[in-house]
Amino acid sequence: MITVSTTADRERAVVGGPPPGAGDPRPRRRRRRGFNVLGALGAGGWFVLVAVPLYFLFVTSLRASSAYLAEGPLALPAELTVDNYLRVLGSDFPRYFLNNVLVAAACVAIVLVLALPAAYGIVRSRSRWVARGFSVMLLGLAVPAQAVIVPLYLMVTQLRLYDTLLAVILPTAAFALPLAVVVLTSSLRDIPNELFEAATLDGAGPARTLVSLVLPLARPGLATIGIFTALQAWNGFLFPLVLTQDASVRVLTLGLWDYQGQYGTNVPLITAAVVLSLLPLLVVYLLGRRYLLAGLTAGAGR
Amino acid sequence: MNLWTLQNEGINTVQQQAVDGFNDAGGPQITLTTYLNDPYKSALQTAVGSPNSPDIFYNWGGGNLRGYVEAGQVTDLTGALDARPEIKDRFLPQVLNGGTIDGKVYGIPMQGVQPLSMFYNKEVFAKAGIAEFPTTWQGFLDTVDKLKAAGVQPIALAGAQSWTEMMYPEMLLDRVGGTETFQAIADGEPGAWRDPAVVRAMTMVQDLVDHGAFGTNYAAVDYDNQASQALLTSGRAGMELMGSWQVTSLNDNFPDFLDAGKLGWAPFPAVEGGKGDPRNVVGNPSNFYSVSRSSADAPAATDFLLTRMTSPEYVQGMIDKGQVPGLTGLDQQVKQGRFADFNTFTYEQTKNAPTFTQSWDQALPAAEAQTMLTNLAKVFNKELTPQQFVEAMDTASR
Amino acid sequence: MSAATSRAGRPGFVWVAPALAFFALFALVPMVVVVFLSFTAYDGLNPPQWVGLDNWARLGADPLFAESLWLSFGLTAASWVLQTAVALPLGVWLARRGRTRAILAAIFFVPLLMSSAAIAVLWGTLLDPNFGLAGVLGPLVGIADGNVIGNSRFAFAAVVLVIGWQYMPFHTLLYQAAARAIPVQLYDAARVDGAGRWRTFVSITVPQLRDTIITSGVLIVVGSMTTFEVVLILTEGGPGTATRILPLHMYLTGFRSFDMGYASALAVVLLVLGTALSLLIARVTGYRKMASQREGL
Repeated sequence: MITVSTTADRERAVVGGPPPGAGDPRPRRRRRRGFNVLGALGAGGWFVLVAVPLYFLFVTSLRASSAYLAEGPLALPAELTVDNYLRVLGSDFPRYFLNNVLVAAACVAIVLVLALPAAYGIVRSRSRWVARGFSVMLLGLAVPAQAVIVPLYLMVTQLRLYDTLLAVILPTAAFALPLAVVVLTSSLRDIPNELFEAATLDGAGPARTLVSLVLPLARPGLATIGIFTALQAWNGFLFPLVLTQDASVRVLTLGLWDYQGQYGTNVPLITAAVVLSLLPLLVVYLLGRRYLLAGLTAGAGR
Repeated sequence: MNLWTLQNEGINTVQQQAVDGFNDAGGPQITLTTYLNDPYKSALQTAVGSPNSPDIFYNWGGGNLRGYVEAGQVTDLTGALDARPEIKDRFLPQVLNGGTIDGKVYGIPMQGVQPLSMFYNKEVFAKAGIAEFPTTWQGFLDTVDKLKAAGVQPIALAGAQSWTEMMYPEMLLDRVGGTETFQAIADGEPGAWRDPAVVRAMTMVQDLVDHGAFGTNYAAVDYDNQASQALLTSGRAGMELMGSWQVTSLNDNFPDFLDAGKLGWAPFPAVEGGKGDPRNVVGNPSNFYSVSRSSADAPAATDFLLTRMTSPEYVQGMIDKGQVPGLTGLDQQVKQGRFADFNTFTYEQTKNAPTFTQSWDQALPAAEAQTMLTNLAKVFNKELTPQQFVEAMDTASR
Repeated sequence: MSAATSRAGRPGFVWVAPALAFFALFALVPMVVVVFLSFTAYDGLNPPQWVGLDNWARLGADPLFAESLWLSFGLTAASWVLQTAVALPLGVWLARRGRTRAILAAIFFVPLLMSSAAIAVLWGTLLDPNFGLAGVLGPLVGIADGNVIGNSRFAFAAVVLVIGWQYMPFHTLLYQAAARAIPVQLYDAARVDGAGRWRTFVSITVPQLRDTIITSGVLIVVGSMTTFEVVLILTEGGPGTATRILPLHMYLTGFRSFDMGYASALAVVLLVLGTALSLLIARVTGYRKMASQREGL
């Protein structure tokens, strides 16, 4: 399912015109220059729009609050400080962070444990019920969480789960499940039929086939849906917003919103909190760019 | 027994002490649970009357409490209060009124009174050549002009939240039409919004807007992140209309401003020819504790409220946190501590006020209050005329 | 399960059941309940009261519903235009190799690492007229007082821009991957025909990206219809109701006004739109197609 792009792929894939450096014998320069100017302007314009907020984000987080107010937001900072980071880390931030990690880890565990047998069943089963179950899952692909938040809130209070991490974990995992199953199913379909038949001939039942054949081959798919689920949980907002309130179970997204109210016009402190919140994904991005992007675009099914 | 209240570090410790004191007596034990503001409202709404119901719950009195009373979920405390006149007489009547629905007491005031006042930057006023805070509307408009002439935004308004905008019309309506006008609206009398005083108050609001009294970007200014306070304390704006919590909040966020003695305060000015008594105050009379009908031990819960909310330790604890309880006989106690001057001002203002009108968003039922806030933002944004506001609210209240 | 030989060693329904049951409990059951609640008056306090079609009749008369639906459609259309207009050429441009492009791509993709909440908080600070960048840069573009999110004309544009800022990298990524998969022979042929860069772009690149344009478009539509926290944090639907999109209207009705019956009716509208869109996804693009589009990342 995720094909690793090889160097050969890269050389094959040249887009928007001839490869760089390839000379064009015909002098159609005017037209071409026009396009280039347009392209450069467009990319440049959007670049400014992306880079200026990011510059602001990182640089401001390293400035003292007093200096920010005195010199203005765009001034080149005279001196840099990590005080803002220390203050954020000294607040409830680590707890929010830990809560987020717990939520993400639990959601990933639930989704992996449920999605793998389901996907295996869907790919290999001949049961009509399985096919129907799969259709139901497909239907759930784009159901917005907002649509069910009122009854979910009532259910969670009735189950006495309100204000627990479990209240966030269960619906988050449930909403990540359909896409996880769909992605994993299409990944398992790539396993050649002969392998399954060979396993059956060896006398392996479904359970052994799953463990010894499917599991090893499904690893890339599992990584993708794991990352996708973790991202969903990590960035989740509505479920924590409605289903929890206490600081002891607050997650990072709500915590950031809180900082905005709590520290208000202390912009450097807020930007430091925002930077800290994106560091984990930055690390993942640097270590496993391919998996992260695959997980991100698994969201293409939502 | 469970007691639900709002999260507030300072106040929670005083509350915990009251609970501990009660528990030490060896009777039924109370557990304190704290919530944030918005989640609390929904948690309470769905819990009261269910098996998860708290025994004692924090509320805002007025329309908010009325909903629970009408659903038959709140214990009537009138009898218990009447049986102990020495306690009943300690509550300022205009404050206890907020916990009274249709003549029966359902809520006991549990924290400080929070009337609205004008807060101003003395330094800015001095630079603009304004000696005293005006006491009349005409004087107020002149002050606005003087501040503008001095190059300062006259009023800081945190219009990103419309409850801050609401403070102007609710003060003006009380001054122009008297307390009865809004009382009729809060009581749900048909057509009450159509009182001409409402249009008049809204027109005065829009005049202020047109006059540039709030500057131009107020709709993007937030109160929660102290943006409007920053405008006031940095001298970029001259004054702000706010509840009495403003002082403790400024003390937390801008202590230098208080230390320098730059903060001034004054009652909202009188409106010439208006029906309302200029001594009237508007704001939050208090917040209240109520006993739920389903409580396993309503008498014990009631006893806790009557004895502990008026106990000397609790009252002193509240005053130390900058809260002035709506009780009689605190004249000396409020004259101490960091906020002595302001607490005295608040206490005198409340005690001497003929009426204490509750903030609109708390006096009205939740749905009507939300509609009111949305429409009010549109009045400030000049998207609704005063007349259109009245029409919209008249529809929403039916 | 039947013991027929063709089914030997095959997993049965029981393998799918746990996932299905879990999904049903937290997603399907609430869907049924929300439909039920939409026929009741419910404030959370008093038990739900059956009111028949009252809430549905209210939809027709509620100007806020019409406005929020209109705003949601507007947000969807504007997001689609903005994001496609930037992401498609940018993705194509970034598909080619080169150090400059690689560095620029790294910067372009940073917003992908931020949660919606983080992005909204960042932009909230940026757009603060008194303490953010808006006060400094606003005057340069004719907004003298830096009042962007407090102005009914600009607030909506700001929301579109911030949401675009958030999702643009994602769609750029899709286009970049798809553009890299276009066979180079097509370009060789075009070059032989003497087609210029613009001609090549219009007549080869864009048609070859057709599937991605559809996928990306559907995702933008679904995303825009259900976007929530960016607007909640940035404007709370304001000023007035200028950015009160449908999901926010539902949330505020349910959890601020405690009009949960009517909020449920609004939620059912969202549900119908969402389901229709998911059917669209399954039909038009097909999930298998989408899986294959991730190739080349």
